[in-house]
Amino acid sequence: MKLQVTQENLQKALNAVARVANTRGTLPILANVLISTSNNRLSIAATNLDIAITHYIGAKVSQEGSITVPARLMQDFVSSLPSGVIELDLQETKLHVSTEQYKSVVNGIVADDFPSMPAITTGKQWTVDGALFKKGLQQVVFAASNDETRPVLTGVLFQVIDGKLYIAATDSYRLAEKQLGANSEEVRLLIPASAMQDLLRVLGDGAEKVSVTHDDQQVLFQVGDVELVTRLVEGKYPDYRKLIPASFATKAVLKRSDFVNVTKVSSLFARESAGSVTIEVGETSGELSIRSVASQLGENTATATAQVTGSGSITLNSRYLLDALNALSGESVLFGFNGKLEPTLLQDSASKDYQHIIMPLKS
Amino acid sequence: MQQDSLWQAVLGEIELTVSRGNFVTWFKNTTLQKQEEGSIVIGVANIFIKQTLEKKYTDIIKETLEKNGVKVQQVDYRIVAGPPRTPQPEKQTDHGDQPKLSSLSSDIPSSQNVFGAPAKDVLSHGYGQGLNERYTLDNFVVGDGNELAFAACQSIAQQPGTKYNPLFLYGGVGIGKTHLIQAVGNAIATRDPKLKILYISTEQFVREFVQALRQRNTASFASYYRAADVLIVDDIQFIAGKDKMQEEFFHTFNTLHQANKQIIMSSDKPPKEITPLEARLQSRFGGGMSIDMQVPDFETRCAIIGTKAQSHGTELGHEVIEYLATNGQTNIRELEGALNQLLAWCEMRGIEPTMAIAASLLNVSKARPKHLSAKQIIERTARHFQIPMEDIVGPKRDKDIVVPRQVAMYMLRNELHLSFPKIARELGRKDHTTAIHSVDKIQKESQVDASLRNAISEIKEHLYA
Repeated sequence: MKLQVTQENLQKALNAVARVANTRGTLPILANVLISTSNNRLSIAATNLDIAITHYIGAKVSQEGSITVPARLMQDFVSSLPSGVIELDLQETKLHVSTEQYKSVVNGIVADDFPSMPAITTGKQWTVDGALFKKGLQQVVFAASNDETRPVLTGVLFQVIDGKLYIAATDSYRLAEKQLGANSEEVRLLIPASAMQDLLRVLGDGAEKVSVTHDDQQVLFQVGDVELVTRLVEGKYPDYRKLIPASFATKAVLKRSDFVNVTKVSSLFARESAGSVTIEVGETSGELSIRSVASQLGENTATATAQVTGSGSITLNSRYLLDALNALSGESVLFGFNGKLEPTLLQDSASKDYQHIIMPLKS
Repeated sequence: MQQDSLWQAVLGEIELTVSRGNFVTWFKNTTLQKQEEGSIVIGVANIFIKQTLEKKYTDIIKETLEKNGVKVQQVDYRIVAGPPRTPQPEKQTDHGDQPKLSSLSSDIPSSQNVFGAPAKDVLSHGYGQGLNERYTLDNFVVGDGNELAFAACQSIAQQPGTKYNPLFLYGGVGIGKTHLIQAVGNAIATRDPKLKILYISTEQFVREFVQALRQRNTASFASYYRAADVLIVDDIQFIAGKDKMQEEFFHTFNTLHQANKQIIMSSDKPPKEITPLEARLQSRFGGGMSIDMQVPDFETRCAIIGTKAQSHGTELGHEVIEYLATNGQTNIRELEGALNQLLAWCEMRGIEPTMAIAASLLNVSKARPKHLSAKQIIERTARHFQIPMEDIVGPKRDKDIVVPRQVAMYMLRNELHLSFPKIARELGRKDHTTAIHSVDKIQKESQVDASLRNAISEIKEHLYA
């Protein structure tokens, strides 16, 4: 293998995939990245046997070949090189990496031992708008659980309902759902949230299309030059949609930035009570006020003006509330709840595309 | 050869030919799914393993199979759901935050868990286990000695985690501690099936913890216990002297307690007497409600026998019940034993249980005091209190001698059913009213004084050992 590649491209590809390589596993080769030429391009790939990422970059290939090299070393090395052209030359299992100033030899392991990237030959394929997808994932992924004892909730659910694609995640205390536009396929996939976080890292800001291919065991995401394959989570996802409240006894519409500010201030006093803050909404006063008490430190009440229908009060975890408010993007937010123990809903006051549910604390 | 043992043999051989990393990664959790003439199907955990085995190891597998006497042309691989995944090492760093996270989220009672019902699938498997439905609050017989405990349990069953938290029940063997705490668990489970109720014996808790330590999986151990809504621990006194265990229990206790989750414990001694136990645990155990459960009085014993007989489907005559209650043991478990013996005897012969049968049966089982003499009892009592035999029967009236003497009288009365004048004589007293007074006094005091009661039961244990 002999080729030339720019430092910028190589660094970008290594940054995207090297994180997946696992240095602490039992199989040494899994701590490596696979560097190989294909059709006059260079592919950089890594896997931890749960997910696999491949990044293709342009290169001037003069001799085909492939090798695996330690991911961390390669990434650190390439990122400290000056920008410009890097020459890769493979001799036996030693990869010579050279620029005008630096010359190094990296000991590799032959590529044959590297697990091959799973190919999905049969299955459904559809696309989704890249920018929308990225935004949606950011709004949803954090709500997934990381409790491995309940695997279903560590996944992000992709499903098409009435011709529209929805993604949703929950840790059973809060739930986020985002609508991602029309989709004609019949889809119901449960994808590990950790893989979606890896995908988020490689999703650029460009408006490129994301292509999704899946069979019943794995799913492949293709975004520009990146391919990510992951297993699907097995199990039945709870029927969460019936939990989204449709009407509210109390409803407040207020500026999101106001809501964020009062919550932040209140949360300072809620540290010792596990983040518990009490929100009071008064119809006559037209105000939403948040109150928190720290028996040692003192207490706090913060107020924001709001358009209110119906009065009431409810106790929430301020951390969950902040997460939800930060995930919303609109100018103003609608906050609705019913009884003290019923789910509360936060959404953009103008659109129902993103809905976030938080279970109240028993006050 | 059996499929399993065949595959184990094959794996054993392959383990020697490939590197350890390769074996662990590719072969470890594979299974033999199907074996037919000339072809086999191997179950693997994921697509990567499938592809790697297909590409690189099919020949080795075929060869090794042939060595084991199975010739195959075709090896197929199928992805099957593997054993529960252990968290990726990569994620283990996140576990540092996890107790925080779970303590935050466990603030939300799971009755309000968004997915109360589906929560059954993985997390709550195991919750609710260990509860025996036979024990209910309804069939618990309430008497003087356990009234308070029962009332506390009823209140907990109504509103777990609010009033008496933690509830600490203690008392001697066979007086219904386990029945009562199991009954609370059952009552809560019936009232709100979504609550995660964890009933566990201390021994089991210790064993699971040791296992978690060995598998380096303490995080999931902790999160499992800390996710419970009601934690019931039986025989907590066994935690004494297990330092690491106490620390883990301390954190679990704190997490649950702060989140207003109900904790119920039972023990054979009060928190202060469990040693060695860390002071912070001691004070926490006693921080809610500690209740001393007493040996049931005569009426309660009658009621218990009546209820037990009823649950067997037999109605016992009034006098039979009273006979059993008078002559049977104060320990309920033995009382039940005597009752079962009577019922089985009658059932076997198809006759109604009568006074005469009860008397004859109980006499058989009551044979044991016969080998006891008054002297033995006095000696044993003296030795227990570490005073010389001469003193206990002598004229001294110091307090530390009078009490053992009174205990000895009480024992003579209760164990040997001696007459009061005889008791007085045995202990060198002239007046039988001294004996009457002593027996009466110890009888009353043992109701309130746990250490006195323990002394008596210890002496008894030694006598019958």
